[in-house]
Amino acid sequence: MAQVIDDFAQTIQLDQLWSDPYPIYRRLRATQPVAWVPAANRYLVTRHADIAYLEKHPDIFSAAESPSLMTRVMGHTMLRKDGAEHLRERKAAEPAVRPRIVKQRWTPVFQRIADELIDGFLERGEADLFTDYAAPLAARSLAAVLGLAEVAGADLEEWSQAMMDGNGNYGDDPAVWQRADAAARGVENAVDAAIERLTAHPDDSVISAMLHAEDPLSHQSIRDNLKMFIGGGLNEPRDATLVGTYALLTHPEQRAAVDADPGRFKDVFEETVRWVAPIGMYPRQTTVETELGGVILPAGARLGIVLASANRDESVFTDPDAFDINRTNRVHLAFGGGPHYCLGTWIGRAQVGAVSMPTLLRRLPNLRLDETVPVRWGGWVFRGLLNLPVRWDA
Amino acid sequence: MPKITFVQPDGTESALDVDAGTTVMMAALAASVEGILAECGGNAMCATCHVVVVDPTRPGLPPVSDDEDEMLDCTASPRKEGSRLSCQLPVTEELDGLVVRLPEEQM
Repeated sequence: MAQVIDDFAQTIQLDQLWSDPYPIYRRLRATQPVAWVPAANRYLVTRHADIAYLEKHPDIFSAAESPSLMTRVMGHTMLRKDGAEHLRERKAAEPAVRPRIVKQRWTPVFQRIADELIDGFLERGEADLFTDYAAPLAARSLAAVLGLAEVAGADLEEWSQAMMDGNGNYGDDPAVWQRADAAARGVENAVDAAIERLTAHPDDSVISAMLHAEDPLSHQSIRDNLKMFIGGGLNEPRDATLVGTYALLTHPEQRAAVDADPGRFKDVFEETVRWVAPIGMYPRQTTVETELGGVILPAGARLGIVLASANRDESVFTDPDAFDINRTNRVHLAFGGGPHYCLGTWIGRAQVGAVSMPTLLRRLPNLRLDETVPVRWGGWVFRGLLNLPVRWDA
Repeated sequence: MPKITFVQPDGTESALDVDAGTTVMMAALAASVEGILAECGGNAMCATCHVVVVDPTRPGLPPVSDDEDEMLDCTASPRKEGSRLSCQLPVTEELDGLVVRLPEEQM
C-alpha cells in the first residue's frame, strides 16, 4: 500500500506567500509549526509559543546568520551580531530613540512633516496615501531622527528600497547588486557629511548618539548601521500608517470609537501591527542541535521566524484574522523580542499612533476609500499595502 | 537562597527560592510566572516586566535609574508607588522576602 506523506511545506511557493501568506501560516501552525520550506530555503517557525521561547534564547538562536545577503549589502550591522558586540552598538544608538526624547524632541518634528504633506494635497480631494503621505512622512521622519535632515526624502526612499532588494537578491541578479551598491555608497557619503558636522556640534540624533557615546562607535560601524536603519526603518512606519488607516476606513464602528476618543489611536496602532506585522519574518540560525516545537534542528539550521504568523495564532488571539481594537489580549510579537527587540518601537508608536493616523483622520473631512481603484497588498518578509487610494471633501 | 513572592491580580501567590545573581525578571521567566512578558530581554526598553513592590522602602532595592524611570512612565497599567521594572532588580541575599504584585496588563 502506498504511503501518503502529507508534506504541505514542500509545496509552498514564494509567490503564494507574497500574495497572501495567512492561509499558509494557518495550515503550518496546525500541522507543521516548525517546517522545512524548500522555497524559502529555511525552516519556518510559525507558532507564538515557539517564537516567544526562541526570542528568550539568543545563545541558541543566533542573529549572526552566515552567509547573509544583508551583510553583503550593508556590511556588519548590529542586526546580525550577538551578545556583547551587539549590545555595545545598540546601547550607543539608544539615547536617540528612547521614549522621553521621542516625545519631547521627535514627535513635534513628525507632526510638522505630516502637516506639511497634508497642506500640499488638502485641496485636491484625492490622493494615494502611499506615495503622497505615508512613504514621504516615514522617509523625512527617519532622516530627522538619524541625523540626515539635509538628505531628501526621495533619496532615502530610493536607498532604502535598493538595499532591501539587495537583501532579498537570492537570484543573484547583477542589476540588483549594482543598484544596492550605489545606494550603499549614497548612504556612506551622506553619513560622512553628517559625521563631520555632528562631531563638532552634537545633537539628539542617532548618528550623534553613536559618535558621542561613552564607548563611541567607529565611523565604519556608524556607516554600516546607518545602512541598516535606512533599509529597515522606513517601510515599517509607512506600512503601519497605511494598514491602520485602511483598517479604520473599512471598520466604521471602530473608526467612530477613535473619532470619539483619540486616545484610542494607541489601541489602533497596536492592533494594526498585530494584524499585519510590517516585518513578517526575520532570520535566525541555530548554534547547536536543539529541539523546537517538537522538531530536532541541527546546528547551523537556518530559520525564518514568522512574526506575522505568531500574531495570528488562534491559541493566543480570539478570531485572529479580524481587526479589532477592543482586544483584551494584546501580546503580539510585532516588535520581536530579546536583545534585538525593535529599536524603533517608541519611534513607531509616536510617528504612527500619535501623529500619522490621527492627523489624517482629523484633517481630511469625510475621508473614505476611492472605490474606483482597488487596494493591493503584497509581501511576506515585509508586508503591507502597495497603494491606498482615498477621497475626502475638499 | 532569597525568597521572592509574586502576587497575581487575582491574589494567587507564587513564592520562589531564587539564586542570588539573577534578576527578579529572569527568576519569574525561569519559573514561568504569569504576567511577566519581558519582551526586550532585560534592556529597560519595553516596560513589559512591570511589577509593584509592596514595600518600596525595604532594604536591598537599588534606586530607580533615569532609564528605568522613563520606561515606568510607559507601562500599560498605570505606574504606582513601588512600580519597578523587574529586569532592573538584581536578586541579592538582602532581597530575601521581597513581595511584588503583578499589574493587570503589560501591553
